[in-house]
Amino acid sequence: MDMMPEKKTTKQLLEEALKDQKRTPLYNPKALDELKQVFNKWQQESVQPADRENWQTIPQMVLGSGTPRDLLYTPLNNPNFDYGIDLGNSGQPPFTRGVHANMYRGRSFTRRQLAGYGGPEDTNERIKFLLDHGATGISIIFDLPTIQMYDSDDPVSTGQVGMSGVAIDSVEDMDLLFKDIALDEVTVSLVSHYPSNSAILFPMYLALAKRRGIPWDKLKGSIQNDITLEEVVRSGPEYIPPQDCFRIQCDNIEFIRKEVPLWNFMTINGYNLREFGTSAVTEMAVALANAIETLETLQDRGHDADWLGRRLAFFWSIGNDFFEEAARIRAVRRLWHRIMKHRFGAEDPRSTWMRCHVQTSGVSLTRQEPLNNVVRAGYHALAAVLGGVQSLHVDSFDEAYSVPTEEAALLSLRTQQILQEETGVTQVADPLGGSFYVEALTYEMEGRILAELDEIETLGGYVATIKDGWIHRKISNYFRKERELVESGQTRVVAENVYQSKAELPPINVFRYPEGASQRQKRRLEQLRENRDNQKVSAALAQLEKACRSGTNILPLAVACADVGCSEGELFVVFKKAFGLWKPPALW
Amino acid sequence: MSRKTKVLLAKLGLDVHNRGLVTVAMELRDEGMEVIYLGNCLPDEIIATAIQEQVDVIGVSSLGGAHLSLGSLLMQKAEQKGFKEELVFLIGGVFSPEDAEALAKIGFDGVYPPGSSRATIVSGLKAALSKKQAVDSSQLKDRR
Repeated sequence: MDMMPEKKTTKQLLEEALKDQKRTPLYNPKALDELKQVFNKWQQESVQPADRENWQTIPQMVLGSGTPRDLLYTPLNNPNFDYGIDLGNSGQPPFTRGVHANMYRGRSFTRRQLAGYGGPEDTNERIKFLLDHGATGISIIFDLPTIQMYDSDDPVSTGQVGMSGVAIDSVEDMDLLFKDIALDEVTVSLVSHYPSNSAILFPMYLALAKRRGIPWDKLKGSIQNDITLEEVVRSGPEYIPPQDCFRIQCDNIEFIRKEVPLWNFMTINGYNLREFGTSAVTEMAVALANAIETLETLQDRGHDADWLGRRLAFFWSIGNDFFEEAARIRAVRRLWHRIMKHRFGAEDPRSTWMRCHVQTSGVSLTRQEPLNNVVRAGYHALAAVLGGVQSLHVDSFDEAYSVPTEEAALLSLRTQQILQEETGVTQVADPLGGSFYVEALTYEMEGRILAELDEIETLGGYVATIKDGWIHRKISNYFRKERELVESGQTRVVAENVYQSKAELPPINVFRYPEGASQRQKRRLEQLRENRDNQKVSAALAQLEKACRSGTNILPLAVACADVGCSEGELFVVFKKAFGLWKPPALW
Repeated sequence: MSRKTKVLLAKLGLDVHNRGLVTVAMELRDEGMEVIYLGNCLPDEIIATAIQEQVDVIGVSSLGGAHLSLGSLLMQKAEQKGFKEELVFLIGGVFSPEDAEALAKIGFDGVYPPGSSRATIVSGLKAALSKKQAVDSSQLKDRR
């Protein structure tokens, strides 16, 4: 009987594709031989026995990967090093050294700080403040009801409107949020997190552009649109099933790629998963698994991998392990290029770029002595820039107390500007390239990411590991262990479990939410419902529900809903009706 | 034989961050307590479940800024039902020192900002429990 050939994993495909590569090692074999002799002698004679025995140690850090480190790295760690195959120049495949030939000389990393609190008119002020102080991009975070897709006047939104993000209920709020801001001039990141709310909020943005007469092909920016956030990282009262969430993710991509060609239709999010609690390696393996399954699905819908790949973007967390962080950005750039080329047959090098926005790690910051966080975030930011990222957000020192104050948000922006203007690190592309250590670590990270990706694919793919809770359990095991390591002092955190101080510190300024956002949102919703054509609203919602059930792309219908003034909660009701509810697996 | 301490844990409102609360749930279970993890809930449902399950402790978590608005609503509801002085109320999350004081003032027996250790939470819970049970042991017996 003929058997269907089993589907090959990415690891198998890459091994096959790369095995016949003709390598030209950079190091001369004779020189390596000599080096080996000198090295062995040195190790025996000059290295203390204790260090020899503990040649490899495992750094114990918050959000670390447990990857062992040698005491010293030499060319012997990577004897077959081939410059062209392993690195290439900046802007050349496999893009280890960066996606652009001139890197930051051509274009600095985008200094994109998050903004969002209160009602849309409050956040509009913060946006203008950041732009006036040299921010080069906008990043909007939404309040909990908006993220969880409830209207501001829904009973479940009680006491939470405008907190830790901005409240948006309809296209009218979107208009206030971007008052006096030219949508065709700034790049806007809508931190919409979930596929479902991306399919609700981005159509409001598109409806606003239409209303202002701005063609959609002039719009630049990104949405998150990531199933990981909706079905794994999130805690919420109501979930739609993973397969439907994944379908909305793909609908978003398909529609945006076609209709809003300069928009990044998905930010494959490692950040929130990592911060929830996972290693530097798992963060990337999961994100790649998601990206691969998404591209496969869209290929099945008849789309070209090159066409899609050109607008794909990633989002990483940058934590404490300085060299590991820089190395793994390089590693995943090389790996993603190889995946696009060998798994998806991409022909245009541009569509194999791993472009990314990064945010410094929030979980790595402490409440004790909050000013120490300025230093931590500064190192995180430096690691990111040395890794060659495209866009950066630096966390603020007061985040264990409140949403950042204006002072703290400005200091984060200044951290970026000091890196950019005063340290000189942006003058040279990939300044760590060629370091024996960094190159060995880059290889190590690439191998580990690929191995974890293989595990997910062997288990049936990413959506399957969400459905059966494998990924949820992996995360909770990780953060539980991390908690034990910090509590036992094995993971050292300055001023928290080592070098604690009893000194009285001056009181910290904290952010206070503006008053009245909740009442204003309620009033605006009342006006909205009075002023709109409610027959058109019902008809638009009915059409959306029909599309949800029939399997055609829901986005054109979601835009029609935004146009006629549907509120966010009304669209979520449609999703729940059409798809039903899902109970996520327990974390413990 | 003494009955296991029964703890109800909930995310206040729509807050999306549950790493802390899940960690506490695992730790209290390891301490031999019975833990009911309710997920995202509003104060009404938390109190209703607490009554139904006859719990000793209610622990809530809020990292999204709603600790005072929903926290005080929870305490109001508890007071209306006559539970405020009987049960132990704990809250964890991101809040300023001032807000932490305010939460203690409105009746939370334990207030746990980021970085609170397992030992701090467990000993705080136990101390509050014995204090409240000592004051109210007769009433508790009547009820159960």
